[in-house]
Amino acid sequence: MSALQTFMLVVDHDKEEAKRIADSVAQDVEGKKTTLIEIVQQLGEYINDEDPILRGKAVSFLTSVIKSLSPRYLSRQQIQVLTTFFCDRIEDGGAVAGLDTLQRLDRFTKELAAETAQSLFSNFQDLQSRSQSQRFQVYQLLNELMLKHRKALRDMDEISLVGVVDIMAGEKDPRNLMVVFSILKVIMMEWNITNHVELLFDSVFNYFPITFRPPPNDPYGITAQDLKGRLQDCLSSTSQLAPHTIPALLDKLDSTSPNVKKDALNALIACIRSYDPNTVSRFSITVWEVLKFEILNAQEEFLSESSLEALQSIAQRLSEGVTQVTQDLPLAQFLRPITKECNEQLQEPQQKQAKPAQQILGALSSASPITFTLVVQAVVAPIFTVYQEADGIVKQRALLETLSVLFESAIQVFGQWTTRGNELALENPLIEFKDQFSDVLGQALMGAAKEEVSFRATALKGFLRLSTLRDFFQDNEVGLFVQYLDEILLKEESVGRDDLKKEAIAALAEISKHKPRLIMDITFPAFVATLPDEDDDTSSAYLSTLDTLAKISVERDIFETLFRRLFSKLSILLQKEQPGSVAYPRAILMTLLYVMDQRAMDSDPNVDLYFEKIVIGLSRSVAESASGKAKNQILNDPSILDTLGRLCNLLVRSISVQKQEQVAENIYSLFAPATDFTPVPFSQNSTADQERTIIISTYLLAGLSKDVSDRIPHTSPDVSGLLSDLVQRSVYDSTEPATHLAFLRHLALLVNKFLSKQDISIAEKLFDSLISQQCQAFSPGTIRTVFWLSKSLVLRLAPTTTHILTSLLGLLSSPDQQTSSSAARGFAILLGEDDVLSATNGAQIRLLAKQRVFTTVIPLISSRIREVNVAGTEDAPQVDHIKPAHLTALAGILSTISTALVMPELPTLLPLLLQSLDLQTVDSVAVRAATLDTLSVIIRDNGVVVIDQCGHVHSLVQRLLKTTEIRTGTGVVNTPRLRVDALKCLYLLATKQIVTETASNARAPPSISPLLPEKNHVLRSLRFVLDDPKRDVRKAAVDARSAWLRGVDDAPEDEE
Amino acid sequence: MTEVQNLNPTILNVADLPTRNRPSKKYSDYESGIFAAVPNPADFLSSDSEDDDLLEEPIDEQEIYDLIKLISDPEHPLSLGELAVVSLPDIFIKPTLPNVPGSPLQTVTVLITPTITHCSLATVIGLGVRVRLEQSLPPRFRVDVRIKEGTHSTGDEVNKQLGDKERVAAALENGALMQVIAKMMETCQ
Repeated sequence: MSALQTFMLVVDHDKEEAKRIADSVAQDVEGKKTTLIEIVQQLGEYINDEDPILRGKAVSFLTSVIKSLSPRYLSRQQIQVLTTFFCDRIEDGGAVAGLDTLQRLDRFTKELAAETAQSLFSNFQDLQSRSQSQRFQVYQLLNELMLKHRKALRDMDEISLVGVVDIMAGEKDPRNLMVVFSILKVIMMEWNITNHVELLFDSVFNYFPITFRPPPNDPYGITAQDLKGRLQDCLSSTSQLAPHTIPALLDKLDSTSPNVKKDALNALIACIRSYDPNTVSRFSITVWEVLKFEILNAQEEFLSESSLEALQSIAQRLSEGVTQVTQDLPLAQFLRPITKECNEQLQEPQQKQAKPAQQILGALSSASPITFTLVVQAVVAPIFTVYQEADGIVKQRALLETLSVLFESAIQVFGQWTTRGNELALENPLIEFKDQFSDVLGQALMGAAKEEVSFRATALKGFLRLSTLRDFFQDNEVGLFVQYLDEILLKEESVGRDDLKKEAIAALAEISKHKPRLIMDITFPAFVATLPDEDDDTSSAYLSTLDTLAKISVERDIFETLFRRLFSKLSILLQKEQPGSVAYPRAILMTLLYVMDQRAMDSDPNVDLYFEKIVIGLSRSVAESASGKAKNQILNDPSILDTLGRLCNLLVRSISVQKQEQVAENIYSLFAPATDFTPVPFSQNSTADQERTIIISTYLLAGLSKDVSDRIPHTSPDVSGLLSDLVQRSVYDSTEPATHLAFLRHLALLVNKFLSKQDISIAEKLFDSLISQQCQAFSPGTIRTVFWLSKSLVLRLAPTTTHILTSLLGLLSSPDQQTSSSAARGFAILLGEDDVLSATNGAQIRLLAKQRVFTTVIPLISSRIREVNVAGTEDAPQVDHIKPAHLTALAGILSTISTALVMPELPTLLPLLLQSLDLQTVDSVAVRAATLDTLSVIIRDNGVVVIDQCGHVHSLVQRLLKTTEIRTGTGVVNTPRLRVDALKCLYLLATKQIVTETASNARAPPSISPLLPEKNHVLRSLRFVLDDPKRDVRKAAVDARSAWLRGVDDAPEDEE
Repeated sequence: MTEVQNLNPTILNVADLPTRNRPSKKYSDYESGIFAAVPNPADFLSSDSEDDDLLEEPIDEQEIYDLIKLISDPEHPLSLGELAVVSLPDIFIKPTLPNVPGSPLQTVTVLITPTITHCSLATVIGLGVRVRLEQSLPPRFRVDVRIKEGTHSTGDEVNKQLGDKERVAAALENGALMQVIAKMMETCQ
């Protein structure tokens, strides 16, 4: 059997083998064992066969052989012969592929390309009756010719143009259309199409609008958007199409489908952006007249937005190259009817259509400096006229809003003070009205009645925009505005929700970025002057002053001034015999803390100064004060120490290593001479005042980098002595709360952050020694110490983590009720966020720690509760507390963990949560609140489905309804917050029946909602909750009830 | 709705609509602004205690207003509050039986001001308000929705319809009408 025959036998089912045969024949050809002529002659008996399949296979053989030849083997003449051969047989399978192979060769000529194209056009008139893949091959070949031999095709002129349009006419397959559209686009852009504009336009516009929806699991991944994009590229390819495209697209806006309108608008925008300006100008007014309707009577917001974008694009195109503003510009002619319409609408600015008019002006004026100038010339003067004649504040406010929109455009066009570069040659046309603006806005802001908050706020926003607009106001004019703002903040009484004051603060903060000098010169003296020397309990007005100062001082220069002023206030206070309430110095410290936190302190050049003054200076004063040598008690106050500590912590994190070492050495001595102050660790009979300094020490320790750990006192040869000392102090129950917490944190920091891996057993031994005492009762202090120690170990996933967690759970079953309940509350500490033991402070918090705790603890709690339930009541009553304790522990853990971790365990968890809701006493309020929180997050993120899958919908709804009741009279306590939370869960149940899965298009088949059996009962029960004495509860009940009324139905609504 | 009857109504600013000033919870200055970020160390160890004050907050006119102000107008994507169709001074709560002192029964009266005097949608709006209140108020409340005197050309006619229990019930059986009303209430939250 010849190679040809074998090939024809295997080609259908064994592509590998077929290729192998072709390869070997090709080798024979190259090795001169056979010739191409012989091969072609061999084909002879098949290529005239009646069976097209047979013919196709024979031609494919030749194609395969050619494919296997090395690219430089064929001579020009051979290529020519083969091309002619394939062109003759082009309708047979394999011929197109053969041509595709040939045209890739370097020796393939321009003439051959034309011949090939011609053959495609004349033989494939019936292309659409062939299979998709055959058509695709033809288009691919054309596309390749377009890429490699474009000139040849272009020289064919009309023939190739009409030829392409003819063979693609009627194409429907998306994959083919993607190729076709890109071929057509090239023709439209590069051919001379003058005589065929309509033909080309029709050939693509037939496909508008694209309504294609990709089938599920589409292997080609072509989306409707891809097709829309290609089609749009064709339509916008050349201005010559404009007489057809623009009217046709505008016609499509009559469609009733918003999606069609959207596509038409997008295509229109693309055309405007690509056609030449003269063409755009020719159609500009027509476009406006159609789009006007879309904007003024907006059907859908996105349509109005796209229409505005189209108008804006026209204005941008018409501004190109224009440097002089005159009324003869095409741009001016385009804008004239628009500004006229807007002016008319703005005659009654409080009415509905004034808003779209405002939007039109905004979109156009921000298009370019030229349009901005033309718009301003046309509308500002009329707006002033209406403003002067306006009979009410409502009208005036709407006009100010319109002006504000123009100011916003001015900022976009001309920039702000902080904008760099791009100085414009054109003068800002608003300059002409500068004094008028200043007068009108000033009058509105300061002259209007104080209750007209929204009117004044509008004026304020307008004024602010003008103040930040580049090269507009003089400094004294901005200064006037700053004075107004100061006056509002310092002199005016609060009105309502204080919206105006909030705006004023935000405005000052904004101005501080552009004109810091004005803030320092005007606002600072005025504000600082109102700060008292001390808080004499008569007024706490200084709080709002400090609040404002903090918010406007984030800029570097201003902050430096703020620091100096406030620090000197503080220093004076510390020297006073009668300093008044500590609230004032604390507020000062908090102000500094707030601003430092907002700024990047580690790149602040003044950080060393702040370090010197605050960390060293004030720490030393704290030591002094603790030894009773200070003039007053300010620095003995725990709340002051806490705030100061935070400030020190922030600064220590921002300083150099050398300075950090200095801090490490002075952690306990607080930079004080040994003769004046006894550091806390290992000191016997230290006073409460002395012990309190551990607060500062702890914050300093938290800020230190791990690299300086060897400088910390009492850490060599090992830290066990220091840890034991801290534990002894921590378990002592009568220490002041703030000091106590500081000891606990200090201990946790040392163990978690500074203890090396080798030494970790020291801490683990400490844990065992605390918990393994023979008695089963522990003091709250001990429990708390145990939990903090556990926290520090568990977060770094110490080797004994599982042992630690089981030991902690064991405490819950203690026969001593107090031990059990304090341990239960302790579980919230375990994973809870802490300001000191935090990632910011470099604590070792392993990513898997939370998951590890959860997966270890949940099964144990679950099985323990089952045991207790089974044992039931016949057991001794002294274990009654065990179940609530476990549920409390569970709530504590859940409150510190994300629901994503919870979901896999839901079937175990849900029964526990339901049992938590069954608790009824006052003590259980916190547990139930936490449970409802968890439930609401589960429902919000996952919908009813997950609860239905566990089969608990009925039990859940019953318990939620019970929690909404108020008059139960059986000792059940449902606080208002619990009632609201339960109602929120009910609301979420009804609104989250279908989880919106964006990933898959497939929608679950409509099914009966699992909530339906509950509907009547829920609606009846909630009717009584509507009469709850608390307003928030009633509000939640109204929302829940209407959600159930509306949302719970036989079949979920089909929403598009 | 083929034709919009009132194309260009006057709109009130949402920020200017009457709202409840909440004096109920007294926030000290420390709990606002920049000072809220730093917890007072005294809070750290205290267990969370909720002050369950037993102060009652009776249903008042503002609450009724809040229930209905967000209903959207069937013609415009705007709320009845913004269009001033409902307004606070036109809402009244009175005891239903003034002669029986301890009676819990209350009557809510809401007067509606259509945007134009010949608005044919006045009945639909009235029904919408009525349905919303009946769904949201406890059973001891009677709801009375009427067109404000002198604001509608056929006000009496509409009032008769809104006041007639039978006719209201019949209207609520009408599927198309209920769909319009359901659409109006979608914005209530």
